[in-house]
Amino acid sequence: MSDHAVQPYLREEFEGDEIGEAVVGDVERRLSVWERISNIDAVRKFSVLITLVVAWELYSRIGDINELMFPTFSATGTALYSALVYEGLMTNVWNSLSLLLMGYAIGVGIAAVLVVFGVWTRFGSDLLTTLTAMLNPLPAIALLPMAMLWFGLGPAAIVFTLLHSIIWPVALNTHSGFMGVSETQRMVGRNYGLRGLPYIYKILIPAAFPSILTGLRIGWAFAWRTLIAAELVFGGQVADTSGQLGAEGGNAGGLGWIIFQNQMENQTPYVFAGLFAVILVGIILENGIFRNIEDRTIRRWGMQVA
Amino acid sequence: MTDTTTDIYIRPEFEVSKLETATNVDVERRLSLIERISNINAVRKFTILLGLVAIWEIYTRIGDVEPLLFPTFSDSAVVLWETLLSGLMLEKVWVSLYVLVLGYIAGVVLAAAFLVFAVMSRIGSDFLSTMTAMFQPLPAISLLPLAMLWFGLGVPSLVFVTIHSVLWAVALSTHTGFMQVSETLRMVGRNYGLRGIPYVFMILVPAAFASILTGLKVGWAFAWRTLIGAELVFGAASGEGGLGWMIYEKGDNLDTPYVFAALFAVIVIGLIVENLIFRNVEISTVQKWGMQR
Repeated sequence: MSDHAVQPYLREEFEGDEIGEAVVGDVERRLSVWERISNIDAVRKFSVLITLVVAWELYSRIGDINELMFPTFSATGTALYSALVYEGLMTNVWNSLSLLLMGYAIGVGIAAVLVVFGVWTRFGSDLLTTLTAMLNPLPAIALLPMAMLWFGLGPAAIVFTLLHSIIWPVALNTHSGFMGVSETQRMVGRNYGLRGLPYIYKILIPAAFPSILTGLRIGWAFAWRTLIAAELVFGGQVADTSGQLGAEGGNAGGLGWIIFQNQMENQTPYVFAGLFAVILVGIILENGIFRNIEDRTIRRWGMQVA
Repeated sequence: MTDTTTDIYIRPEFEVSKLETATNVDVERRLSLIERISNINAVRKFTILLGLVAIWEIYTRIGDVEPLLFPTFSDSAVVLWETLLSGLMLEKVWVSLYVLVLGYIAGVVLAAAFLVFAVMSRIGSDFLSTMTAMFQPLPAISLLPLAMLWFGLGVPSLVFVTIHSVLWAVALSTHTGFMQVSETLRMVGRNYGLRGIPYVFMILVPAAFASILTGLKVGWAFAWRTLIGAELVFGAASGEGGLGWMIYEKGDNLDTPYVFAALFAVIVIGLIVENLIFRNVEISTVQKWGMQR
């Protein structure tokens, strides 16, 4: 045994050279103006944005680029301005948004009925899970050709596809949120004698609000994408049959339609202007509305930290 | 002090009248066969599925429904079987999946490049968050008209929009995941002397894997929807393509059983990717590691 004993390595004693005077730098120092400015998040992000715009402008001006393929930023800006002021881009935005809102409201209503039914009975719960499992993976836009057959070229077909894109994610998330409500909270509700709808509104909905909100957000994201795609397909359908636009004629189409039409007419700056409008609407809805709801509910209630 | 003492109500003593013997009830009883069968989840759901199919079949047969507008279930199923046998369906599925996989991989690789850049420098992080804030709310499909202008009608345009739909969703979710990795884990990594790419792959990626997976799932959902939508638009602009194009073309020609068969195929692919692929990745990573129940 003693053979295997580990011999500790003993370091020899030594004495260091004399240590010189330490050079102490600034222990505390105010940041320079430059550093302080570049510490502001908004400033940095804004300068990234400006750099991108300048790069775009320079690339499209100096590079040998066909104006029709890739317009300059300034041309796009001018197009956006003139579209807003003279060509009623706001009408197109409103056309898209009103369809979206209609579809969203009806879709959330239907999802609510399905979920209430799903909470009450085991059969309802089974029906809901089977339907969502089947239909959630189906992109709503794939139903557009059938919707066009059933409802014709028009708002009804678009609203039908929108409904489909909203109902399943909202129902799925709300239902799984309800399933995850802790037994303690359920028992509190039953203790107060709550049953049926009051039980859902007073216990299940507040407790499952984070998942409900997630469902609403996913539903909105899918609906917005579906709407733009549906309007593009409509544009294609009309160009295909070279028929009249009917109810969608004149300035009646939405944003997707504007993008498609301007591309067909080689008005590329206007295509970019349409894209800007789509981005703006998205940012406003996402950050203005959903962010606010989140701040006022789940963040205030301490259910979500970040 | 004694004035303030409250009188306590004292319940008078009482004696209960004689209890009767309890009538004999089943304390324990085997469930009947029907109860046991209906307690099996799969059986109930399968019954519902059968019920829905039966309703569809009966509605389209008995109701005065134009078969061109709404085919019976049996017609759709027969067409699905025939197209599967003749290989037409598999060909269409292959065309769609090929574009999807190409776009998905390119999108994820691009997102990874952006993220490595973002982790290593503050300017990269600012760049990434500005770009995702700009492009995340933009439906990728709205870039299709431009893509058609730049790349012409064909696979490159489809891949371009698919990349777009994957890239920002994955980048956003992964970036937030990286931001939330705890300081302790980061310090462990730095303690081992990890920097740059090894730091990202050995510390940040495993720690933020739950968000990365969410991002990949959202990216897949957007990509699949975008691809089908893009193929529909292509159909309108007379190109050719996979499942989306088949849906569009057959819908246009009033071959509605084919449309429904294609819709079935779309659903099946969605189910396979979500429940087989992502579910298994989840089970063998975040669930095994105890990050998600």
